Amino acid sequence: MMNKLLLGRFIPGHSLVHRLDPRSKLLLSFYYIGIIFLANNWQTYLVLFLFTILAVRLSEIKMSFFIRGVRPLIWLILFTVLLQVFFTRGGTTYWSWGPIVLSQFGIVNGIYIFMRFVLIIFMSTLLTLTTPPLSLADAIEAILKPLRVVHFPVYEVALMLSIALRFVPTLMDETEKIMNAQRARGVDFGEGNLFQQMRAVVPLLIPLFVSSFNRAEDLATAMEARGYQGGEGRSKYRVLVWHAIDSWSVVGFAILTVILIWLRA
Amino acid sequence: MRQKNQAYRISILAMFIAIIIIQNFVPLFGYIPIGLLDLTTIHITVIIAAIILGPRDGAIVGGAWGVITFIRAFTSPTSPLAPLVFTNPVVSIVPRILIGLVAGWLFIWLRRKIKQTPAMMVAALAGALVNTLLVLGLIFIFYRTPAVAQAYGTADVSRLGGLLLIVVGTNGIPEAILAAVVAPLICTPLLRFRK
Repeated sequence: MMNKLLLGRFIPGHSLVHRLDPRSKLLLSFYYIGIIFLANNWQTYLVLFLFTILAVRLSEIKMSFFIRGVRPLIWLILFTVLLQVFFTRGGTTYWSWGPIVLSQFGIVNGIYIFMRFVLIIFMSTLLTLTTPPLSLADAIEAILKPLRVVHFPVYEVALMLSIALRFVPTLMDETEKIMNAQRARGVDFGEGNLFQQMRAVVPLLIPLFVSSFNRAEDLATAMEARGYQGGEGRSKYRVLVWHAIDSWSVVGFAILTVILIWLRA
Repeated sequence: MRQKNQAYRISILAMFIAIIIIQNFVPLFGYIPIGLLDLTTIHITVIIAAIILGPRDGAIVGGAWGVITFIRAFTSPTSPLAPLVFTNPVVSIVPRILIGLVAGWLFIWLRRKIKQTPAMMVAALAGALVNTLLVLGLIFIFYRTPAVAQAYGTADVSRLGGLLLIVVGTNGIPEAILAAVVAPLICTPLLRFRK
């Protein structure tokens, strides 16, 4: 149950994608989700599909990891696709029954939405598989930096994020420990009716919160003892470097965008 | 006895955000599936943060939940409706920030008038209802404009709106009751950590 977590699924490696700067990876992933909405005919979807496969190949990670990322969501995706297929009108109508219509546009739309889902999941899985969470936090800090002009507390947010990501596995272990301890005392998780299920969460939450407060206090004391005095005027240990590959991947995405706009219907 | 300083504030907020992240990704802990939309217990975490740490920090924790919901709607949606509605940051982020603000302020205001436990219950109830009603209301508003529906290939707008009303209505009430019952249970032992 616990190893279903998305965040911890970083796979170390030395491929091209692994060596990319996390800033460029993060920005390009967001950019990719943006330009996927440019696609509106089968040629554009084919180009996007080939591009995504190329990116996956470059990461030297087995395809099965990506399929595994899609699998838990497959029913959800199919449900959304069916909703689209049966409620879109237009083009040739093949079959209809009351409000439910099976039409040409509906089927085409359904296929496009399926593609869009799978491609976005592949790209985001690629990001999380090739980037350690703390590098992502660094990247977010670097990207938010311009917001300092409007007095947005960038350092504090970045530090908060780093601490949160660092403590996710720790708190997760603790959650599991508390769950087992409560099970030993006779609490049933995931059983009974809705209210019983939800009430079972309470003996889990109280110890978790209390220990979080204690942990935060210890952490704050330790931080102060090491001379933490707020975000201003600190230097960095992990410095992000922008390499030639990063520039090339930006060029790759630019070419993709041009091709998409050119092929758009 | 305790120094309430920058380092403490950052670390306690980080712990709350870590809990929210865990609740988002561990099944049966944050979301309990019952059909189209899942019942959530994450709003309880936000309400607790708002009552114990204050409205501002509650809003930050709620905002973190909203951002996670927003990103998840694209990359790994929680329910079939998520990719349709939560890809809009106004629907996914704003209601969650307001849970923290409303619950926190209401608690501070009520605390002067009534006892602690009922004040917590009312604040939690209001926080949960704000979340549900705002998500519901905003979906309703955005689904009436064709822009959002069209981006996803025009599903039957009027039909979906009615369906949403029922589904969110059946979710909102249990969620609100749960929050009202659970929040005092959890907050009372935690209040000694209050600023």
